[in-house]
Amino acid sequence: MEPLLRAENVAKRFESGGAFGSRQEVRALAGVTFSIFPRTTLAVVGPSGSGKSTLALCLACLEPVSSGRIWFARTEVTALNAERQRAIRPSIQMVFQDPASSLNPRMSAFELVSEPLHIQKRFDKPERRDRARDLLQRVGLPREKAAQRPDEFSGGQRQRIAIARALALEPKLLILDEALSALDCSVQAQVANLLIDLQASLGLTYLFITHDLAMAAHLADEIAVMERGQIVEMGAARSVVNAPQHAVTRRLLLAAPGVSNSALEPQAV
Amino acid sequence: MIERRQILRWLLVLGALHAMVACAGFFAPYDPVQQDREHPYLPPMRVHVVDERGHLHLPPFFYALRVREGSVNQFDEDTGKAFPLGFLTTGARYRLLGFLPCRVHLFGTAGARLYLLGSDGFGRDQFSRILYGGQVSLLSGLLGAGFTLFMGAIIGAVAGFYGGWRDVVLMRLAELFLALPWLYLLFALRAFLPLAVSPLKAFLLVIVVLATVGWARPARLVRAVVLSAKERDFVRAARGFGASNGYLLRRHIMPETSSVLLTQAAILIPQFVLAEMTLSFLGLGIPEPAPSWGNLLASLQQYSVLVSYWWMYLPAVAIVPFFVGYQGFANALNLDVAADKIVGKRGVPS
Amino acid sequence: MNYFLRRLLQGVLLLIGVSFLTFLFSTLAPGNYLDEMRLNPQISSATLAALRSQYQLDRPLPIRYARWMNSIAHGQLGYSFAYNSPVAPLLWIRARNTLLLAITATLLAWALALPLGIWSAERRGRLPDRALSSATSTLLVIPDLVLGLGLLILTARSAWFPTGGLFSVGFENLSPIRKLSDLLMHMALPVTALVLSALPLLIRHIRAAMVEVLGAPHLRAAAAHGIPHRKLLYGYALRAAANPLIALFGFSVGTLLSGSLLVEIIMSWPGIGPLLLEAILARDLYVVIGGVLFSTVFLVAGNFLADVLLYWADPRIRTMAGAR
Repeated sequence: MEPLLRAENVAKRFESGGAFGSRQEVRALAGVTFSIFPRTTLAVVGPSGSGKSTLALCLACLEPVSSGRIWFARTEVTALNAERQRAIRPSIQMVFQDPASSLNPRMSAFELVSEPLHIQKRFDKPERRDRARDLLQRVGLPREKAAQRPDEFSGGQRQRIAIARALALEPKLLILDEALSALDCSVQAQVANLLIDLQASLGLTYLFITHDLAMAAHLADEIAVMERGQIVEMGAARSVVNAPQHAVTRRLLLAAPGVSNSALEPQAV
Repeated sequence: MIERRQILRWLLVLGALHAMVACAGFFAPYDPVQQDREHPYLPPMRVHVVDERGHLHLPPFFYALRVREGSVNQFDEDTGKAFPLGFLTTGARYRLLGFLPCRVHLFGTAGARLYLLGSDGFGRDQFSRILYGGQVSLLSGLLGAGFTLFMGAIIGAVAGFYGGWRDVVLMRLAELFLALPWLYLLFALRAFLPLAVSPLKAFLLVIVVLATVGWARPARLVRAVVLSAKERDFVRAARGFGASNGYLLRRHIMPETSSVLLTQAAILIPQFVLAEMTLSFLGLGIPEPAPSWGNLLASLQQYSVLVSYWWMYLPAVAIVPFFVGYQGFANALNLDVAADKIVGKRGVPS
Repeated sequence: MNYFLRRLLQGVLLLIGVSFLTFLFSTLAPGNYLDEMRLNPQISSATLAALRSQYQLDRPLPIRYARWMNSIAHGQLGYSFAYNSPVAPLLWIRARNTLLLAITATLLAWALALPLGIWSAERRGRLPDRALSSATSTLLVIPDLVLGLGLLILTARSAWFPTGGLFSVGFENLSPIRKLSDLLMHMALPVTALVLSALPLLIRHIRAAMVEVLGAPHLRAAAAHGIPHRKLLYGYALRAAANPLIALFGFSVGTLLSGSLLVEIIMSWPGIGPLLLEAILARDLYVVIGGVLFSTVFLVAGNFLADVLLYWADPRIRTMAGAR
């Protein structure tokens, strides 16, 4: 099977510092290579500062890579110019961590969800309205609330709006950057189940970024563990959780509540 | 909530003040350029309801002034003849709000002129001149501030959004403009533009000069907002949908600058009105015979006027209620912004 | 020392930038200054020829600017048509008077604002603070034009203070002490106007800075250690508030300069203000440019002084500067 997304040696450097000060270089990604297969979920876990969010932005073409290549369904994305890249955008969509900042507080839920259609100039107004309504319904939001602003929704509902919006352009790959981390525990489970349902019914592929290994184990088929800009361990979800190879993975496992793992129990001497 | 009400209250005050000036023609009994050389430098006249014998008369009336014997500038009321005030009378022609021809005045007189706030060297009614002068001064301030904010917003947006060399060049330029004391800059600019021009041209010149001096601070503030708004996730998301730069600026980024621009407007408008007053006072702004608060004060530069005719100072006081209004409005805006931060929009601490 | 050199360099760059800007504005002037000068009977043709060659008045802008910069480097600021003399000495006499006014007003304003601001910050929320706050709010709504004219009228009608000029008639015959008192009497009105217009904002900012510092944890810790109140206020709080206050000082120099321009004109104080106005009305190009440059020099000097104060007051800047 062909991978839907393939990254090869992707590196990203940030420079800071002015003309008179010392220039500091931060290497957010230092050569990342992996593939994601269609209709699967790859979870990328790691401590803060490991480069997960930078990876997400690069894969979503929201940040240019410093070096390396990315393929999406046989097209080399990194070799495209800005205009062609824009043509690919509908296929890769992103859901951000904090819906309070990823949704423009001045727009209604309805406007938010139909904005992608408006930007891409798809359909006429009545059809856009219908599609937006459908999307909101699909993520489980009541129709009556469509005209309300984000601050009138709960955290979980806001994230649903963000998900609905990300689905508007019928993407193939959905990148979820800590999309559940800002939610309360009980709400997390609900939204997680929504994501699972959507994947099944729409045939989506997920790149799921999180620092919570338990969540990754629950949702993902494969897990990649990152530390300081590199992938240090990668494999099928169950094997990574049951037989962690790398120290970072082990630390993450200890921090994850509710994951039963015999490998971590103290060995009888 | 409280803050919104305060803002509304100050807006009402400002609206009333501006409306009064905008309808100067209606509130002013006489034409501002109409001279009466027989009655120069008359002090403010009093309106009476009770006559010398204690009888009540309605409508209110006034007495003409005549020079006291043995003095040059002391006046007494001539209680021989009483002139009544007429309300909603027809008088000199004017254009309401600049375009509607009208002849109705709030009050007027027949037979003699009532100088509510005194008369100037040519016998022109100061009260009417102050009202009409307000139109010129306020309009200069409003248009000047509008222009400045427009320029500042564009420059700030370009500098903040595109960054790079554009940002460096524009901000260095802004520093340059901000470094000079504003009055010196105003003078320097005005110095090199033609001096003896018609009132209309002078008006336009003043506005252009004001805008050129004032764009730097709003530009900086807008740039700061744009810089931070650019990094917001909802802008990133829109970019992810394939939005163009123009769309991002228009739909998502510039609306974030609205509060900054509004506060700047509240601060700049009175400053620009004052700047026009200063320029006109010194003879560098709107020339005679068009009245403006500034050139109404110009006669005070003569020592004799300064000492003897204190009512010529009154046009200066006219700006004070506007300062009060605009400052109150700006304070209320700041409070509102601060309140939003502490308490969420629905009153729930965020 | 690197720190100061950098600041000095920035100041010089600013001066160059401002001079170029002013020169650029001057190109907006319709007509040729050469023609105006030619029409002026007071200027001899020899002077005209000399000026023309020195300033290259008929060449394009960059050349004119270069020649003018060159002559500034040699201490010459141009030629005044109205006074028929070089600009520099003219400017210098007036500049002294302006500096006298501005420096006195700055010192007085700060001498009043500092204690008042600290005092009201201490009593925040209570009656004295609220009273002072109303007073400053009232002063704030009275712009300096209104204030200056108002003071002038009051003084003119009451004859308490002289209303114009630098000296009285017969000044030369007075004894030194009476000369000083005469000067002070003449200064009283303009200085009062300047101080009153600068005071409200100064008090407000000082109070705000002190309030913020007084609420800081490290100050409460010091109080808990039993440090006496006076020492707490001046030794700790004031020093911690030094940064914004020194920045405020640099900023107040600029506003005071603008203010003094107007006050001098209104009150006939023979400083740069009236000179500048005359020059504008008489289309005396080089005097105008000279006046604007003077103000920039004064501003840069004021800001540099603020930087020096900051260096002395804030150890962090010293270590940062030393580390480079």
